[in-house]
Amino acid sequence: MRLGKHALVALAAVGLSACSSLGGGEGFSSQYYTATPVRSVNVGNGAMAVTPPRPWNKQRRLFLDDVIWVEDWTLNGPLLDSLTFVTALPDKKNLVRQRTTDDRQVPMFRSTMTIPEVTSMLESAYRVRAGAIDFKTLSLAPRPFMGHLGFQYDYEHLDSDELWRKGRAVGAIVNGRLYLIMLDAARSHYYPDTLRDFEALVASAQLRR
Amino acid sequence: MNGLGTSFLSRRALLASGGAATAALATGVASARIPPSSMQALIGPGYRPTEVDEQGLWQQVERVEEEIAGSNLLIKAPGIEDYLRQLIGKVGGPAARDMRIYLVRVPEFNAMMFPTGFTVFFSGLLLRMRNEAQLAGVIAHESAHFLRRHMIRQWRDMKRKSDLFAVGMMALGLGGAGAGVYTGDIARLAQLGTILTLLRYSRTLEAESDAMGARLLAEQGYPPLEMADTWQQLIGELDLSAKYRRKPRERDLSLFSTHPAPESRMKDLRATARELTVPGRIYDNGRARYLQAIAPIRQMLLDDQVKLNDPGATQYIINTLAQDGWNGLLRFYEGENWRLRNRAGDDLRAAQSYAVAVAYPDAPPDAWRWHGLSLIKQGRRPEGRAALTRYLGLQPNAPDAPFIRQMII
Repeated sequence: MRLGKHALVALAAVGLSACSSLGGGEGFSSQYYTATPVRSVNVGNGAMAVTPPRPWNKQRRLFLDDVIWVEDWTLNGPLLDSLTFVTALPDKKNLVRQRTTDDRQVPMFRSTMTIPEVTSMLESAYRVRAGAIDFKTLSLAPRPFMGHLGFQYDYEHLDSDELWRKGRAVGAIVNGRLYLIMLDAARSHYYPDTLRDFEALVASAQLRR
Repeated sequence: MNGLGTSFLSRRALLASGGAATAALATGVASARIPPSSMQALIGPGYRPTEVDEQGLWQQVERVEEEIAGSNLLIKAPGIEDYLRQLIGKVGGPAARDMRIYLVRVPEFNAMMFPTGFTVFFSGLLLRMRNEAQLAGVIAHESAHFLRRHMIRQWRDMKRKSDLFAVGMMALGLGGAGAGVYTGDIARLAQLGTILTLLRYSRTLEAESDAMGARLLAEQGYPPLEMADTWQQLIGELDLSAKYRRKPRERDLSLFSTHPAPESRMKDLRATARELTVPGRIYDNGRARYLQAIAPIRQMLLDDQVKLNDPGATQYIINTLAQDGWNGLLRFYEGENWRLRNRAGDDLRAAQSYAVAVAYPDAPPDAWRWHGLSLIKQGRRPEGRAALTRYLGLQPNAPDAPFIRQMII
């Protein structure tokens, strides 16, 4: 789950300065991202496949934040937009890696959770890990996902960098495991600009096992 | 101090060097308590710096204030700003009219006074105050830093006593703060404060602020003992938070910098309070006024804390506030704290809290929502549906109404 924005940017900055002699200008360093092909690709632990309508940048798994069920993509950089795929997250596992001694923790997922509990878990993730200061639920409604009873969750949040971001999550719990696709982007321009891609990805999502 | 050659200098490193210098300063200072009567204000109304070093400091800090004044993290709740201004007018001493106070929405127990006389209070501090006297006590403490000119005194003291290297580091920190290290990220203001290091006062200066703050508080008819209670609440919260995560207390807060051991500091505050308390005089802690003033934002303050899922701290805060009486709001958030903690058996604990919460007339609609959801989870569907129906009745336009309606069909 891409929630450590500041850490990410700091790393990207280091990456950029390290290879500045090469001319750069591409924005985020390829050390940390690879372009996704425009065809069906497996995401997360491989339990879900999606088809992006254009190439996105897949974040490599080199941050401590990452867990195998979660994969992050971005189009314009993680401060502006990001997609998160959660694939078959099992009972008692977490969206992010965290130390047991951390004061503030993202609640772990449990198979028995109701959907409002899942969305509350996402809200805490934004508050605990992304520094969200204000968080508003815009809507929570039923929506089928990959042929299962699911939900659509819309929200917006003001982060400590004083930027309002907006997000949409579409997901379902299937056989006790959580499947989710989330878009989170700067509220002005970037959210509306990437929403069509998000919807295409959700429509294309397929359960693989 | 070996990593100096690197271009990247962490804030923590700066903090460490500043702290070392401060500790050196404090060496040899006996931990004697400062008598509150000896603490007179060193500045009067309309104070402006006349010496070059202080003028430079002011110039840089004024830029920081401009940023803060324009931040969208400021809480603009009706009446709250006026209320805080009114309190600073009461306990701010001779320079009360020159001081400005900014309330920012950050769920931390923190406040800081800047050299030019503006102070930043984090919303998490308001959550933790049991009454007006406690809040006024923190404001008085912060005011005392300004009235006793602590920032410039500490700065000059350091220059005089520390080695050249430490001074260089400090100048670097200051220059950085003035020249754009501060990026508008208010949540990191505490770190900015430690870069300045001027806000991390020596033991003597903190003791001065405690003594003078307590006196300003008592002069306005507040019970001075409330300052020691605030301090005790802070210690208790940090201890319980750490215990839940199975580790020793470690969190450092610049509100009351940690140089004196917290326990001895509290002891001194208690002794000072006893000295200031006039037998027979009636003191008012202003609890009713305080609750009325923060009513528009109290639920938001609780929400911001509880959702951080720091169960030890949250439990301590809720139990402390509940010493003045339980209500629906506190019971509801007690339930939320268990639900988010999410250990074995916590769902039942949460369910019990929600069930108690909805029996109070002030239970928020969300209490009915979670009461209903937890009943459904327990297999008590008809009761759960009734509670969720009640929730939708209280909040027909709730953003999650479409989902909840589907659950109760």
